[in-house]
Amino acid sequence: MVNKKWLVGASLLALASVAAACGGNNESNTSSPSPSSSASGSAEVSVGAGDEPAKLTMYSWRPEDADGYAALIEEFNKEHPNIEVEFKPFKSTEYNTILNNALNSGTGVDILQLRPYDVAAALADSNFLTAIDGLEGLDQIPDTYLDAARGSDGNVYGVPFMLNNAVIFYNKEMFEENGLSVPETYEEFLAVCEALKSKGITPIAQSGKAGYLLSMTHAVIGVDAYGGNDFASEVLTGKTNFNDARFVESIQRMKDLTAYFPKDFIAMEDKDAQTLFYNHDAAMYINGSHRLETFQANDLDFTVDFFTGFAKNKGETPNIVTWVDGSYAVAKSSKHQEQALTFLKFVASKSFGQAFSEKLTRVSPIAGVEPADPLLQRMAKSNVDQSTPYLILTNFNMGVPTSKTTFEDSLQGMYFDKLTPEEVASEFQKSVDKWFKPKS
Amino acid sequence: MKKTYSKHMIHLFLLPALVFYVGFMIYPIASALLNSFFEWNGFLRGDFVWFKNFIRLFTESPFQETFFNALEHNVVFFIVLIPAKLMVAYALALVLHGKLKGKEFYKTVFFLPKLLSVIVVGYLFSLILNPSYGALNTALDAVGLDSWTRPWLGSPATALLSIIFIDSWYEFGFAVLIFLVGLQSISSEIYEAAKIDRATGLTLLFRITIPLSMPSIMIMTILTFISAFESFELVYAMEGTSGGPYYSTDVLALFFYRLMFGSAGGGESIGLGSALAVVLLFLISGATAISMGFFKRKEVDY
Repeated sequence: MVNKKWLVGASLLALASVAAACGGNNESNTSSPSPSSSASGSAEVSVGAGDEPAKLTMYSWRPEDADGYAALIEEFNKEHPNIEVEFKPFKSTEYNTILNNALNSGTGVDILQLRPYDVAAALADSNFLTAIDGLEGLDQIPDTYLDAARGSDGNVYGVPFMLNNAVIFYNKEMFEENGLSVPETYEEFLAVCEALKSKGITPIAQSGKAGYLLSMTHAVIGVDAYGGNDFASEVLTGKTNFNDARFVESIQRMKDLTAYFPKDFIAMEDKDAQTLFYNHDAAMYINGSHRLETFQANDLDFTVDFFTGFAKNKGETPNIVTWVDGSYAVAKSSKHQEQALTFLKFVASKSFGQAFSEKLTRVSPIAGVEPADPLLQRMAKSNVDQSTPYLILTNFNMGVPTSKTTFEDSLQGMYFDKLTPEEVASEFQKSVDKWFKPKS
Repeated sequence: MKKTYSKHMIHLFLLPALVFYVGFMIYPIASALLNSFFEWNGFLRGDFVWFKNFIRLFTESPFQETFFNALEHNVVFFIVLIPAKLMVAYALALVLHGKLKGKEFYKTVFFLPKLLSVIVVGYLFSLILNPSYGALNTALDAVGLDSWTRPWLGSPATALLSIIFIDSWYEFGFAVLIFLVGLQSISSEIYEAAKIDRATGLTLLFRITIPLSMPSIMIMTILTFISAFESFELVYAMEGTSGGPYYSTDVLALFFYRLMFGSAGGGESIGLGSALAVVLLFLISGATAISMGFFKRKEVDY
């Protein structure tokens, strides 16, 4: 019975591989706080100790930024030649897993790019990060941005270094050729879409295979339907919830726009949508400001411009969807706390903000940084007094599965006629109810 | 005296293997089992909660729906793989076992897909099945079958089946080889004896060939069962961690991955994920044991 033995071995091996996957991740974190960070978390930043020779490893989810960071690190080394910083990027979709494992084992990472808001809070609450309240330069960053890197204890655990704006990019020449002007209200937007569609142009290069693109589009298109910042504060304080008719209306818009999305958009990936936009097959493309860098890299043969969300009534100022996309934090397990904090001070400085904004074509949250790119300049200006959060990302990205994911998957369900907009809203609310406690 | 000594010495030689076995098999399984009985707060282990994680998994929304939805897809996976992979492979093995020119060539060709990485296969087929520029839809268009074009991976109606067929394409070469070895091990004397009894064609197939290749059929069925219940890579490569579109390709291993690694903060999911791993362990080992008993009775010896 050779077969049988072989079989038993094979099946055991297969079984073990299922169970083994969870073996690596289940040690409870017992690494003691390093000497330099006090129990309360507030770090003392002394200059002398912060310049001792050290090699710091910096985790990032943006491999495409490697060249930019090489230049930024060079800038840092002009003042701090003793501190060597290694930029170590991972694929964005794998970043969280790799980072969590590194933090869990307490090795390999000194400085890390911190995902914003709820994710940052979860890592901070797990005692993986060094609190940095009082770090030089933090006072130059508006409080609302620091919220992206706060733990539940209210301490700040990271220096926000990049903002993102979700906007509607459009092909400027195509709009001009067809005699279209930038829509101010949702009704005008629908008219623009209809005009484009009648000319055989796909109005919006939307893709839906990756759910986050749906919730991002929802944030841009829906913000004036649910009422921007007012609705956000009502939800956060428990005055209303997502079953609110205004929120359902914003989801209804997503359904109504199906007519202006590409055929089978739900099967398309972001790169397919970009291809439509780049090849003049589609007139608009909704995404974050981080795509400006992609546009430059693709050397488009038309002018890209953007408009924000819509105004409720013509003549009013529309909101722009703004959120912190990442912060820099120090791993509590790092042996080089002082040097890592020296680097964070550099990140919080205006010179980093300026260089970052120019080299990587992104908006910096540091007050007074003026981007070189004219589109970014406009975004940075709007951020000052028109910004509204990408609510579902900034405040409803918790739970298992996260409420954000539930919302995105429910939207997909809506496009397959499995759910109505009301049901999408109630699925989302059900997920939110499991963990969310309104601030009274 | 000396004899006993050497008798014990021999156990020492098992030690290296034992260390690996305990370190990489027993320990992870045991720790998953242990973790499934605890509450988890982020990455920190909380209180011992008995079967709470299991109860939540089976009774609480959305875990309950997700579990049974994914389980259903695993079952479909297995059921469709039997005709799509095993029967096709067995038929091809029969052909290759006969007198056929260029046997070796076909054997190699059938086995070739298996040499590719699953992720590469997933990526290639994502390109082929792409709704806007994919080769399949383009080809259908070109021959006038444009009404057949669809977003193969983007529609709940076709996504799961598409993935199962790709999996069959990827795996069937291995099954052909196993079946072929099984067929070759059947002694020619038995066929000669049967022929003397005037057995021909289908009688030979159903009375001699199939019963005598039961060991290889058993192995392949059970391996297919295990691979169906562990399917992960292809779905992950082609539909992402959510088993899209709208959970239409979600499978248990993917659900496990989401619980364990999906939420960025860890959350309460480590306990739930471990519970699911334990459920999977018992599901697969239980079903494997039962089906082995079943096949055992089907085995014949002439």
